[in-house]
This record gives sequence, C-alpha cells and structure tokens, in this order.
Amino acid sequence: MERIFTKILGIVLILVMVLSMVACGSSTTPDSVSTSTLAAATTTDSTTTPVEQPVTLKIYAQYSDEDTKAPYDYAIAAMKKDMPNVTLELDILAQDDNAKLKTYAATGNLPDVFQSGGDIINTLKASNNILMLDDQAPTADFKSKMQPSAMNTLMNSDGHIWAYPYAGNELVLLYYNKDLFTQFGVKVPTTVDELIQAAKTFNSKNITPLSIFSKEKWVGVSLFDCLATRMEPTGIRKLDTNQGKASDEAFTWAAQKFAELAKAGLFQKGATNTNNDQAESLFLTGKAAMFLNGQWEIATATEKMGDKVDWMAFPGKDAANYEEAKNNFSGGGGPGGYSVSPNSKNKDMAVKVAAYISFKYAECKYTTRGTPIVATKVNAPMVEAFPPMMEKLAKVIPDIKSFGSFDWNLTNAKFKVAIEDATQKLVTGGYTADEFVKDMDKAIVNANAE
Amino acid sequence: MNRISKNRVAVCIFTLPALLVFTVVVIYPISTTFYRSFFKWDGIGEAEFIFIKNFKNLLQDDIFYTSLKNGLVFAAVLVVLQIGIGTILALAVSDNSLKGKKVLRTAYFIPVVLSITVVCQLWLQMYDADNGLINKIFEKIGISYRQNWLTDKSTAILAIAVVNAWQYMGYHFTLLYAAIKSIPEHFYEAARIDGATRIKAHLHITLPLILETYKFCLTFAVAGGLNAYANMLIMTNGGPGTDTYTLTFMSFRAAFQTNEFGYGCAVAVVLVIESLLATLVINRLVARERITY
Repeated sequence: MERIFTKILGIVLILVMVLSMVACGSSTTPDSVSTSTLAAATTTDSTTTPVEQPVTLKIYAQYSDEDTKAPYDYAIAAMKKDMPNVTLELDILAQDDNAKLKTYAATGNLPDVFQSGGDIINTLKASNNILMLDDQAPTADFKSKMQPSAMNTLMNSDGHIWAYPYAGNELVLLYYNKDLFTQFGVKVPTTVDELIQAAKTFNSKNITPLSIFSKEKWVGVSLFDCLATRMEPTGIRKLDTNQGKASDEAFTWAAQKFAELAKAGLFQKGATNTNNDQAESLFLTGKAAMFLNGQWEIATATEKMGDKVDWMAFPGKDAANYEEAKNNFSGGGGPGGYSVSPNSKNKDMAVKVAAYISFKYAECKYTTRGTPIVATKVNAPMVEAFPPMMEKLAKVIPDIKSFGSFDWNLTNAKFKVAIEDATQKLVTGGYTADEFVKDMDKAIVNANAE
Repeated sequence: MNRISKNRVAVCIFTLPALLVFTVVVIYPISTTFYRSFFKWDGIGEAEFIFIKNFKNLLQDDIFYTSLKNGLVFAAVLVVLQIGIGTILALAVSDNSLKGKKVLRTAYFIPVVLSITVVCQLWLQMYDADNGLINKIFEKIGISYRQNWLTDKSTAILAIAVVNAWQYMGYHFTLLYAAIKSIPEHFYEAARIDGATRIKAHLHITLPLILETYKFCLTFAVAGGLNAYANMLIMTNGGPGTDTYTLTFMSFRAAFQTNEFGYGCAVAVVLVIESLLATLVINRLVARERITY
C-alpha cells in the first residue's frame, strides 16, 4: 500500500511539473521567438489606421535631464497641433545597456516607437524586431531634410535605414577653466606631456586637474579615443570593426599615456565611482581645472561659468602632431534615432510619428539648446543664440578631418563591454598599458570569434 | 492528525498548491536555465544548440575566475562578520545583568529594515577617498592609511562585503539571540555549581546547543555571498573594470550586455551548482545530530 502511494505521489509530482512548465512556457522559446517575429516582420498587409482616428502609441525614449526632456516636450507640444489624433504613452528609457529593450523584444512587447543606436540595431535586426524604413512613406522626405554631413547617422553599414536620426556627429570636448589656468600660471597644454605637467601643478595647488565621471564607462572610452585619434584618425572604430589591434602603435601609445596621466593624478580620487553630477559640479564650482564631456555640456557650462570656460583642442604627441591631429575628434555619429517595431498595430502611424519626432528633436536642439550639431536641416527661427564656445566649434566643424567613436556607437557588443572595462581600470592608475594591450587584444579576438 | 496523514488523497490535495508554486517559481526557471545554457543565443533571435561549449568557454574566461573568487571572498567576509560578531553580540545581550538590552536589540536590527540603496549610499559617503568618515578617522588618529576603498582592486570587494555584512548582521544576531534564549537556564546553573566560568559555560553549553541555528545562518551567509549583486551594482557597478564582479554580475553582463544569453545561463548554472554544493557541505558538516532538550 505504502509503495503504491509513493508511486501515485511521484506521478502527481511529475504531472504538476509538466503542467506548470507547459503553462509557463510561452511561444518565446529560443527557436520560436524568431519564427513568430519573422512572420510578423515579413507580413505585408500591415494594419493601417486612418489619420483621423484617435491612435495611442507607446514610445520608449530618454527623459531624464534637461537635455533629453526639453526636446521630447517640444516635440510633443508640436505634435498636439500637427497630429492631434495621436496620443503617446511615454516609457522612460532606462540607462541599462538596452537590457529593458531587449527584454521587451524577447517577450514580444516592443513599444511602437523606440530609441535605438549602435549594437542594439544589429541585435534587433537579426531577430526581425526592428522595421526597415527604406521604403516607408516619410523616408524620402526625411532623407531630403538630412544635413549632407550627417548622412552617416541615417544609413546603416548594411546600406539600409533602421532609425530616423536627430543627433548629428556629436563631439567629445576637453573643457577648461580659463581663470584657474591663469591664476596658477599653467599653459593650456598642446602636448600630452604638458598635460601631465599641468596635472602635477594643479595637484600641488589642491585643484583637481580633470574631473571625470568614470562611473559611466563611456567617458573613459572617450578619453582613450581622444588619445588614440592623435595617431589613428578613426580611433577606436578601427578596433571595433576588427581592422586593428590594441598592440598597434597608436593604441599602445594611447594606453601608455592614459596610464601615465592617471599615475600623475590627472583625475580626482574615486573617479570610477563619480557620477556625472558630482564630476560636473567639481568643474562648475572651480574645484577642477578641466572636464571631459560631449559638446552638449556647452549650454550648462556657459550658463554657470560665463566667459571663464572654454574648450581646447586635445593635446598631441608633440607640437607637430598637435597641429596635424587637432582636427581629429573623438565622438562622431552613428546610425540611430527613433525606430519602429515591426509588430506595431499602427505601424504606418508609428513610422510617421518616429520621423516627425526626430525632426522636431533636431529643431529643438538647434533653436533652443544651442547646438548646431543635429541630423536634419532646421528652418525654424532661433530662440537662443549659440554660446561663444559653440560659435568657436561651428568654425572648426567644416575643418574636421575624422572622428573616432562614441562608446554607444560601437557596433560589436563584446568589444564595447571589453573596452569599457579596460579603460575604467586605466582610470584607477592601478592597471598598466601592457595589461591593457594584452587584455584588449584577447578581447578583440573573442569579440570576432564565431 | 493521524487520520489525515493516512488519507492519501487529502495529503495530495493539501500539498498540491505548494508544489505548484514551488514548481513555477523554482523548478521551472532552473530547468529552463539549464536547458538554455546549451545554446548559443542572444536572448531574442534564433538559438543554436552547442551542447557544452558555453561551459568550455567559461573555463577560459578570466572574468569567470575573478567572479568566482569575489563570490567566495564575499561569502567568507559575511560568515566571519555576520555570524562572528552576531554571536558575540547575541551572547552579550543575552546576559541578564546587561542593562538597556531592549535598546540594543532594536539598534542591532535597524540596518536590516533599511533599504539597500540607502545603506549603500551611506557607505559610499563613508568610503569617500577625500572626505569619507573612514579615511578621516585614520587621519585623526595619525595613521597614514588613507585608501581609495572602492576604486582600488585590492580593497573594493572587501569594502563592499563589509557593507552587506553590516546591514544583515542584525538578522543573524536575532536568530542566534532567540536560539540562546531558548536554552534552559538550569543548564547554566548546573555549570556554575560545577565551577564553570561564563566563557566556559558558553563554550560547552551555548555554542553546541545552537549548532542547528548556526547551520541555518551559515547557509544564508554563504548563499548570500555567492549570489551577491545589489551592493556592487549600486556602489561600483562591478568596477573598476570587472574587479568587483560576482557570478551574478557576470551572468547579467553576458545576457544583457554582450548578447550571449546562453553563456549567461551557463554562468547561472555554475552559480546554482556552487550554492547547492555549499549547502550540502554545510548540512553534512554542521549539526549532524539533532539536539533536543
């Protein structure tokens, strides 16, 4: 009797497990995800909604600080006039390396419109979770409005359009406090050795030479790219696309100088634990002499520091290299902007909204945020004039010879993570250039292994 | 009660809800993780069966060894600080002659109920290289031991583990205190009559009699250490570089940052096996005989 009961209990247990697995198992097993999404992506008879009918779309967009809130609010306000039947439900983009977006894609819950760029386009493309925009209705018009210099932000390396861009080829700038340099008799450095010397002088005066928010790993990557572009115009893009090795001269030199700068005390203590607000505050309050950030910092820096602040061309290997490479910039753009889910129930409207919002973003950034570096041409009247630093940059832009890459425009996810980690270690000063080169060469091989 | 246990149908019906829940929240996720660890999969698209290649790659990955070591260091710090200090405090507070026991009991437990984010932010301030309390204390007492606690790879993982140990020490203290208070007083009276000192009485009566509780505390501390994630996410985000990674962190990186979901599952499988092994060893070595009194 006891044995029979044990057997029955065993069978019940197995049944419970099987039943719950079946119940839990959705159609999103590794194999079935692709089939279902593929079917959805390749279907041609998309549901079209007449423009007049009220439509509610989900949008996944950045909305965290003034630089991201202002363009969104501007675009929404304009949309209320031009597309009154459309309501957008905002899902705020998480700064999580697209983990949330990937989860949405894996579970078939992608928002109708979402921000994309860099490796996420390739990831979503491979699983048919992003709509190709080449032949969509607004594309021809959008293309005609593009700045010729920013076409690289529209066209992907595969020759297709996957997102409507709004940002142009943005840049990394090295800002400095003119008053502190004058006060302590420090020459604005034109070579990396002079930068090391400046770091030593500022440290002796209890001033942080360069405040860096290395808790965000892209900043360390950008500093490395600034150094690498002195000798290799394409910077880390060359490594990302597997066309170079970290042991190449330009990258080895960049790693050596990065390590030397860290050892010389260029960064504040605890730099890898410092966030954007903390590092920015050090610079804006005169406790740090230099600050590394994108050109989008110009508006805030000008507002808080007035004419005390300026940006400098990145120091070179020597005087000759400074002149030769001063128009090689770190940063640049890449394909990205607003994309559309192929599974959207209102696909046509979502495409229209994506194009409209991207265009309005650029308009807002240009007319009110003091940045001419946008993807599309803007005809709207200026609300605020460009600050002097932006005027200076605008004069340099036509002479820019080359761009490296922002971290988020890197296309190989494994390489991106590896260089983020390695450059953050360089910031600590406890990681040698040799270790960097060895680790990165290994990472590049792994990142490109099948 | 006896009648119910003899009624097989009743046993099945009563255990079914618990079995269902357990299967859905434990067995199903673990088995799918095992299954997916045999695939090359980016988490969204088509998966390719590669059998044990993910595990082979794992053995050649430097980050795996860093993560494994960090998990063990984390667990060791938790065991020493949470259970060690928890025991000392529990013994002290259980002493009848001590005044203010109620206040102390509450004070020790307060960090447990605080949000982990709040605790981490508090300690981030204390670890600040320039103005942090800890470096200031060293400065005041004239010891030149100022450290970049969270950015130095040799101290970062220890510094983070101390935060977790501090927060949950009160939990272990409470368990141990309750166990100590459950020991009958006449055991100590007999020991006193036999001339045992207080320390001897604790060594020969208290500690052996609360071994069952130690087993529970040890399992929690070790599993908590091996699975650590939130503290490093808030305090260092795994950095500098990968220096404060644990297996949980590594699994997340693989699944969501490098698009290797299958590889991330393989890391999770190793973590599950590691935790199970640790639990088995603890069960085998600690409190093998059940003590009743």
